[in-house]
Order: sequence, then structure tokens, then C-alpha cells
Amino acid sequence: MLEWLEYDFMQRALVATSVLSVSIAPVGAFLVLRRLSLAGEAMAHAIVPGIVIAFVIFGLSAVSMITGGLIAGILVALGTSMLARRTLIREDASLASLYLIALALGIFILSAAGSAIPLKSFLFGSALGIGDDTLVLIGATATITLMTFAVMLRPLIAATFDPIFYESQSHRPGLVQQWFMFLLVLNLLAAFKSLGTLMAVGLMILPATAARYWVSTITSYMILTLIFALLSCWIGLILSFYLSQVPTGPAIVLVAGGFFFFSLLFAPLGMVWGRFVQK
Amino acid sequence: MLNVHQIALGYNGTPLIEGCSFALEQGQVCAVIGHNGSGKSTLMRTLLGIQPPLAGRIDWHDPASAPKGQPRNIAYLGQSADLDHQFPMRVKDAVAMGAWKGLGFWTGIDQAKADRIDYALTRTGLAEMADLPLYACSAGQLQRCFFARAIVQDAPVILLDEPFSTIDQSTEAKLVEIIREWRAEGRGLMIVLHDLSAVMGLADTCLLLGDGRASFGQADDVITIDNLIAHHYLSETQAEWLTLLQQKGAS
Repeated sequence: MLEWLEYDFMQRALVATSVLSVSIAPVGAFLVLRRLSLAGEAMAHAIVPGIVIAFVIFGLSAVSMITGGLIAGILVALGTSMLARRTLIREDASLASLYLIALALGIFILSAAGSAIPLKSFLFGSALGIGDDTLVLIGATATITLMTFAVMLRPLIAATFDPIFYESQSHRPGLVQQWFMFLLVLNLLAAFKSLGTLMAVGLMILPATAARYWVSTITSYMILTLIFALLSCWIGLILSFYLSQVPTGPAIVLVAGGFFFFSLLFAPLGMVWGRFVQK
Repeated sequence: MLNVHQIALGYNGTPLIEGCSFALEQGQVCAVIGHNGSGKSTLMRTLLGIQPPLAGRIDWHDPASAPKGQPRNIAYLGQSADLDHQFPMRVKDAVAMGAWKGLGFWTGIDQAKADRIDYALTRTGLAEMADLPLYACSAGQLQRCFFARAIVQDAPVILLDEPFSTIDQSTEAKLVEIIREWRAEGRGLMIVLHDLSAVMGLADTCLLLGDGRASFGQADDVITIDNLIAHHYLSETQAEWLTLLQQKGAS
């Protein structure tokens, strides 16, 4: 039953995804509350060319890949707001255009450079290749994320629930939003190795949307999001171990999807029992 | 407590309103009225210090004001339609938000603040709902919740943006009572209002926005049919109807 735990690479994958869950769950919880789920998805693709270029030039160095990813993310974000303000297409169309170009460019460069990483594991993740540097990246990301939430939880709640109220109370209102976007990119990067660029957002969004159907306080919401994320990773890893053709990303995200549909139907605020909910 | 001199408001250098001057004293209610897009909400954002004016000067005379001239504390109540009613939070958590300013990272809410939160919940008639989630609130209960938050803020200046737009008559009457109480306590209030009948009973002064400019004065002097037409609040046809109805009522 526990034979999968005897393999070194599975132990690493288990540690990596567990720590990743602790970090990514609170970010996902607020991404959903801030109505940025789709922007998060777009951002996950927007940062691909930065990571690929950094990877092709500097190899598998966490620092250069983060720097590359952040630069690409900021360029797409700035480009989107400039196109939406100065030209006739709207924000969603600008964002979609730019992130698709970015994703295509990233995959193009990766393939043209004849990378050592197979395209499939780049796109969908692999439990196999989780080395020490990936573990360090995930650990550092989790540390920064949890420290941020310890300090910034109240401002983040206020800024999410009632932005103008928060702005009227704070001296540096933009800081919360900018730092949150930084955490988003950081956590996406940390998730790349095990989940792949196409699936990284799945572990962020689905446990959070599933948890929304169960709870009515922030604390219980964040805790339940974490539990769903952890269970998704563990069950997903085992699935992908026994079905060796299935990459880890889709396996984990599909399990999270199972939690989502179960919650959607049977949670207290779900479709069967959810009498209170009014839009 | 507040003097505004010839400010211009707007976005990207294009003014919505120019030459807007008014004053607010302690214990006064100033109604802000104007057609949609006349700059009412922009004015609120400017007074909150979120958006600087394009020109002009804003002087706060709050005895406890910060060096920048911003008052130490402004309570603000936005349009609740903009908010996420499904946000995972209890009624008392939303009210407690009024006590968060100035709290350290790890500090909890002290007894004085907890008492004030209890008082605000009781005063707005929400005491029995305190532990219920926000999504269980009706529009009127939600608005009472935000009034309770403003009570907790205990601010010398209170800005309300269309506080009555989503609620029924009986809730409105209760909230007007709280507004009168705030005025009696010597706070200065600015209230964006859509409904002119609410202005008549409540406001001491009135700021009428529209047609790129502002008129300010005693409420009775500012709200005249000619003024309302001049600031595009009423069209001439609407005004003719009003006059006609008034004459009918008088005869």
C-alpha cells in the first residue's frame, strides 16, 4: 500500500507538494476573494518566456528563473493596462492577447533551444525531477508567503472586502496589492516544477473555490483551502505514481476538481443545501 | 473643520468640476447632490485623500490632525452595491473593521474597542445577528452593518455615499436617526444623496454639482428649480412638470 513512499523521488515530491500547499493555499484563497482567478491563470502563462529565457541562458538557477518570471509578469501587466487605457481594445482582450503571445514565445524558445527538460513535464509537471534547488525555492516561497500573511492579514482582508474604505484608512494603500501580486508570481514559480506551467494555477484556485461552499469566516476558509490543497497533492501524487503515463499536474488538479464538484453539490452552501445564498 | 478652496476634480488632467469651494463645520450636515457622473464620488475620493485634486486647496482644521493636514480619522461609507455580499465574514467581523486602524500586526482588539463594537451592534439593531454570516444579511441589514462600522470608527468627519439607495423606508428612518445623533455629537457629515426629499429634512448646507461647476450654500437657498436646471440635475421638461404639480397642490 505504501510502497510508493519507498522511492526517494516520491518522498521528495511529497515534501515539495505539501510545503507548496501550505504556501499556495492562502494565496489562492485571496486570489478567489479578490476576483482575480482568471488574472492569476493569465499571469501563470505570462511569466513563461521569462522563465524559459532565464533557463536557457543561466540553466536551472532558482534566482534567475524568479527574476526572469517577475520581469515577464510585470511587462505583461504593464502592457495590458497600457493597451486597455490607450487603445480601443479592453482589459480582458489586452490581457488575453499578451499572455497568449507570451506563452507561445516561451514554448517556442524552449523547443528551439533544444532544452534538456521535456516539453511535457514543463507544461504538466513531473514528480521525478524535484531536486534540491526546487525544494529550496518552495521552502523560501512558503516562508515569505506565511510571514507576509502573518503581518498583512488584516490589511489584505480590508483591502479585499472594501477597497475604498481600506484606501481611506491606509497611508500606502498600493503596497498590499503590489505585494500580493508578487506573492502570486512567486508561488506560481514554486509550483512550476511539480505541476507544470499549464496546471500551476489549478492548485491555487480549485481548493479555494471548493472551500467557499463550506464556510463563512475567513479563518475557517483559509484552513479548509489548505486541507483541500494538501489532500489533492497527496492523492494526485499516488495516482500519478500508479498510472505512470499521467503527469503529476493534471492528476493533482483533477483531484482538486473532484473536491470542487463534491463541495458544489453537497456543502452547506452548495447547490443541494444552499438556501441562504443570494446574489 | 473643513475649508475647500477652488478645487478642480477629474481624471487624467480632464476636470469634471472646476472652481468648487465649500466649508463644513462641526455638527453640520452637508448634502452633496448632482446628476450621475457629475463628480460626487470623485469628490468623496478626494476628501478621503485617495485622489489628489487637479487644482485648489483643501484645509482641514481638525485639532488632532496629522501634519499633512489630513484629519486623523475619517469614517467612510461607500455604496454597498460595490461590495462582495458573499465575503466569508460574520456581521461582527465587518463591524470590527472600524477598529482596525492603528492596530499592530499582532495586537488584538482591547476591551474599550470591544465595548464600542457591542454598542454599535446594539445601536443599529444588529446585536442578535452579530454571529451570522454576511451573506445572510438583507440589503438593509448590510447597510446597518456599515453604519455600525462607522460608529466604531468614532471619527470627527463622516462621509456617506448614497447611504439610502438600496434600503427600505423603515431602515432609512432608523439610519437618519443615527445621522442626527452624529450631528448632535458635533461631527461633520457630508452625504451624497440622490433623493431630494431626504435632503430637505436632513441637510444644513448643500453642495450642488453639475455642468462642470458647483454651487454651495444653505440647503434652502441652493435647491431651487432654476439651480437644479442650471446644474443639469433636472431637465426643463421635468422642471415644468414639477412646477405644474406644485401649482396643482397649492390650488
